[in-house]
Amino acid sequence: MSELTFAKIDQTVLDTLKPPDRSYWLTVGILFAGALAGAGCWIYQILNGIGVAGMNNPVAWGTYLINFVFWVGIAHSGTLISAILHLLRAGWRNPIARAAETMTVFAVCIAGLFPFIHLGRVWLVFYMLPIPNQRNLWQNFQSPLMFDVVAISTYLTVSSLFWYTGMLPDLAVVRDRATGIRKKIFTVISLGWTGAHEQWRHYARGYLFFAALATPLVISVHSVVSWDFALAVVPGWHTTIFAPYFVAGAIHSGLAMVLTLMIPIRKLFHYEKIITLEVLESVAKTIIFTGLIVGFAYATEFFMAWYSQNPVEMAIFKYRPTGDYALGFWIMVVCNTIIPLLFFFKRIRTTIFWLFGISIFVNIGMWYERFVIIISSVSRDFIPHAWGLYSPTIIEFGIMLGAFCLFFFFFLLFVKHLPSVSMTEMKETVDQGAGHGD
Amino acid sequence: MGTEYRVMGLFTDENRAVSAIEAIKDSPWSLRRVHSPVPSHKISDALDLKKSKIGYFTLAGGITGFFAGFLLAVFTASQWHLIVSGKPIIALVPFFIVGFEFTILFAIFGNVVGLIHQMQLPEFTGLEEYDPRCSGEHFGILAACKADELERLKAFFQNRGGEINIFSKKQEHQ
Amino acid sequence: MPSNDKNTVVLQKKPWVLICLSLVIIGLGAFIVGLMGRHPERAWQAYLINFLLWSSIAQGGLLFSVVMHTVKARWSGPLSNLAESFTAFFPISFGLFLILYLGRNDLFPWLHQDLHGKEVWLNIPFLFARDSVGLLILYSLGFLYLYHAFWLKLDRSISSGRIRTFLYKQWDQHIPDAQTCSRRMTVFGILYILAFALILSLIGFDLVMSMDPHWYSTLFGAYTFVKAFYVGLGGLIILASALHLLPEIDFRLKPSNFHDIGKLFFAFCLVWADFFYVQLVVIWYGNIPEETAYVIERTMTPPWNSLAWFIFIICFILPFFILLNKKIKTKPQFMSILCTVVIMGIWLEHLLLIGPALNPHGSALPLGLMDGLIFLGFSGLMALAVTAFLNLFPELLRVTDGEVT
Repeated sequence: MSELTFAKIDQTVLDTLKPPDRSYWLTVGILFAGALAGAGCWIYQILNGIGVAGMNNPVAWGTYLINFVFWVGIAHSGTLISAILHLLRAGWRNPIARAAETMTVFAVCIAGLFPFIHLGRVWLVFYMLPIPNQRNLWQNFQSPLMFDVVAISTYLTVSSLFWYTGMLPDLAVVRDRATGIRKKIFTVISLGWTGAHEQWRHYARGYLFFAALATPLVISVHSVVSWDFALAVVPGWHTTIFAPYFVAGAIHSGLAMVLTLMIPIRKLFHYEKIITLEVLESVAKTIIFTGLIVGFAYATEFFMAWYSQNPVEMAIFKYRPTGDYALGFWIMVVCNTIIPLLFFFKRIRTTIFWLFGISIFVNIGMWYERFVIIISSVSRDFIPHAWGLYSPTIIEFGIMLGAFCLFFFFFLLFVKHLPSVSMTEMKETVDQGAGHGD
Repeated sequence: MGTEYRVMGLFTDENRAVSAIEAIKDSPWSLRRVHSPVPSHKISDALDLKKSKIGYFTLAGGITGFFAGFLLAVFTASQWHLIVSGKPIIALVPFFIVGFEFTILFAIFGNVVGLIHQMQLPEFTGLEEYDPRCSGEHFGILAACKADELERLKAFFQNRGGEINIFSKKQEHQ
Repeated sequence: MPSNDKNTVVLQKKPWVLICLSLVIIGLGAFIVGLMGRHPERAWQAYLINFLLWSSIAQGGLLFSVVMHTVKARWSGPLSNLAESFTAFFPISFGLFLILYLGRNDLFPWLHQDLHGKEVWLNIPFLFARDSVGLLILYSLGFLYLYHAFWLKLDRSISSGRIRTFLYKQWDQHIPDAQTCSRRMTVFGILYILAFALILSLIGFDLVMSMDPHWYSTLFGAYTFVKAFYVGLGGLIILASALHLLPEIDFRLKPSNFHDIGKLFFAFCLVWADFFYVQLVVIWYGNIPEETAYVIERTMTPPWNSLAWFIFIICFILPFFILLNKKIKTKPQFMSILCTVVIMGIWLEHLLLIGPALNPHGSALPLGLMDGLIFLGFSGLMALAVTAFLNLFPELLRVTDGEVT
C-alpha cells in the first residue's frame, strides 16, 4: 500500500462511478427480475394463505426463519469490520469498511422482510408496534419476538445512520469532482461538508461513539435473535451457549459474504492496490478464528447433551447427525468448521480462487446450520406422536431466490453510484500522500 | 471600508501545512479555517482544538433511552395484569433487554443530534469559500487579510510550497 | 546495562521476598489449622477457590501476550513482556492441582450420590487424569510459546544462572533463525489459545459446575475462560502499575499504554457480565426446575443472594461506570485498586458458585478468617513466582518503543 497516494485513491474509486456498460445493466435487470419473481411468490402467498409454504404442524418455523437469521448474521460482520475493528485500530479494515457497512444495511433490510413474509396476515403487522389504541392493547415485551422487533429496528436505524455518517466526507469528494445533475445531488447529500477542522473535530468524536455503541449493539442483536430459540424449552434450543455461539456464527458467515462480495468487485473495479491480498488474508484468518469458535460450540453442545443425561436432549443430538436431516448436519459441520481450517495454509489464504471458493462453502454451511438448528429441533421435540417432517415448497424457494436477488441488486446499484471504498479512510492509512512529500 | 480578501493556501504535504499554521499564528493575518481531506492529529494539535462536546449529547440520549425502554416495557405490562408462562408481570430480567436496545438507539439519536448541532450541517454557505481540491489531496488553510496585504499573504503561502486560491469578500460600509 | 542490574538488585531485595514468604507461610498455616479442625472441607473449599482464581490469573495473563502477538498488535510490547512473567506460576499451579487429590473426599459432593449414568465422566481417577493431562498440555504449550518468544527478545550477554545457560544451549541446538522461530512462536501461540479455551472449559466443567452434578449450563466452559481472561488482565494491570509506580524499579509505561489496557479490561468486564447474563436469561425464562434450582439458591435465597448482588456490583456495576471515564484508566494507582477489588469479587464469585454445593443448608456464608489468610498465602505464592521470573529475566522490564515480536 506504500505506492498509494491520495490522488491515486481518489482516481481509482471515482473511476468506478463512471457510467457503466451494458453487461452491468443486464445483470441489474436479471437481479431485478429475480426480486420480482420473489415478490410474485409473496403476493401469491398473501392471497392464498401461508399454507402454500411448507410450514405446518409440527414444523411451524422453516426457511423464512432460516433466512431471517441468515441475513441478520451476514449483517453482523459488516458492523464488526466497520465498528469493532475501528475501535481496535486494525488498519486492514479500511479498504473494506465501506462495502462491509453497506452489506450490513442491505442485509438488515432483507432480514427485516422475513418476519413480514412469515406473517400470514401481513396487514396486521402494526400489531407489533406500541401504538396507543382505543382497545388499550399493547405488546408483550417479555416475548423474545418483541425483543426482535426492538433489536432489529434499532440495528437497522443505527446501521443506516452509521453508514451515512461514514460516507459523508466521501460524498463531498464525489461532489467536488462531479458535474451536472450528479453534482447537484451530491451537493445535497453531502450536506455542505467542507472538511473544515471544526467539522472534523466533531465528526471524529461522533464516529468513535458510533463505533463504540454499534459494538454492544451487534452482540446484543444476534443474542436477541438467538433467544428466539434459546428462551423456548424445545430440546436442542434451550441451551445457554446460544447467544455467543450465534454471534460468532454470524460473524463467520458475514466475513465469508464479505469475501464473496469483495473478490469480484476487486477484480472488476481494479481495486487490487487498495484491497490488497493482505486485507483478504486478514479476513481469512479471522474466519479461521470464528470457525473454531463455532466448532467449539458444536462440540460443547454435544458433550453437554450427554452430560445432562436428559433423555430428550440426548435424543435430539442423536437425531441431528443420524436422522432425517443428517445431510444438512454434515454439510454444516464440514463447511463451517473443517473447510475454513484450510486457511491455516498460507498458500490457500493468498489465492483468490480458494478464498472465493471457501467463502461460498462457509455461506452454504452457515445457511445449513440454521436449517439444522431450527428444523431438526422443531420436527422432533417432546412427544413422539407429534413428530413430523418438513420440506420447503416452491414458493419458499421463490421467495428465498427473490431475497438473494434483491440483496445483490441493491449492492450492485450501490457500487456503481456511491463510492464503494472509503477514500477518506484509505487516505488515513497512507501517510500524507507519499510521493508528494519531502 | 475596503475589500477583505480570503486567501487559501493549498498544500499537498501535511507537515508543510502544519508549519504554515504555526507561522500564521505569529503573523498579523487571521486564520479562518483549515480544510483537510482526512482528520489530522497534527493539525488539530497545531490549532490547539478543544475536545468535542458531542459526548454529552450521546450520554443524554443513552440515559433517556434506558429509562424510556424500561418504562415502555413496564407500562405495557402493567396495563393488563396477565401472568404469561408464570413470569412476574414486571420482570426485570427480560425488560433489561428492551432497556438496553433503547439505550443504544437513543444514544445514537443523541449522537446524531449532537453531530448536526455541533458541526452545524447541513450548511451550504461554507462552500462559497472552499476549494474542491481540499477533499482530494490538498490541505487548505484559509487566512484573511486586507487588500493591501494580499501580495504578502500570497507570497507567504507560495514560499512554503503552497498553491493559492483567492476569495474576495466585501466588507460592509460602516 | 546498569539499569537492569539495578532492577535485579531491587527484586532480590530481602524485605520483599521475606514478606511474600511470610504470606505463604501464614496461608499454609491457616490451611493446615483448618484441615485439622472440625471442618476440613472448609479448608479444601478455600484451597480450591484460590487454586482456580490464581491459576486463571496466570493463564489469562499469558493469554494477553499470545493474543497480542497473534494479532500483531503494536502497542502492547512492554505489557506483553510483563504478562509472560505469569508463566512462573504454571508449575506451582500444576503442583497445587495435584495436591487437590488429597482433598478429594471433602471436595466433590457427587462422590456418594447416584449420578444416573454420569459416573463414567464424574469419577475421581478419570477426572484427575484428564485434568492433569489438560493442565500439562496447556502449560507446556505456554512454555513452548515462551521458549520461542524469548529467543527473539532475551539478551544473550546476560549469562548467569543455570536456567539461562540451559535455554541458550537448547536454542543453539534447535532454532536455526529468526524466521523459523517466529513462525513456531505463532504456531504455539495459536495452540495455546485453543488449549486455553478447551482446557479451561474442562476445568470449569469438572471443578466448578460438577459441584452440583445435576445442573448444567452449556456456556459454563466459555464463561470460565472469559472470567480467566478478565482476571488475567486485572492481574496484569496490577503488576504493571506496581512496577511503574515503584521508584526503585526502572520501568515506566506511557499513559496511552495504561489507557489501552484499561480499555481492554473494561471490554472484558462487559464480556464477563454478558456471559453471566446470557446464562441467567435463558435459565430464568425457561423456568425449568432442573436448571433454576441452582440459580435460585445462589441469587434469591439467603445467605447467598446478598453475596450475589455484592459480586454483581463490584465486578460489573462499579467498574462499568468508573471505566467509562478516560482519565481514570491512565492512573495506575487507581486502576490497581480497582483491579484488586475486581479480583476479590471474582474470588467471591467462585465462592458463590461452589459454596452452596459444598455447604448445603447453610444459614451463614461459609466465609471466615481462614479463607482470607489462605487467599493471602496464594497471593504470596504468585508474588514470589513473578518476582523470581523477573529477577531471572530482567530484560522483560526494558521498555523500548516499536517492539515487534
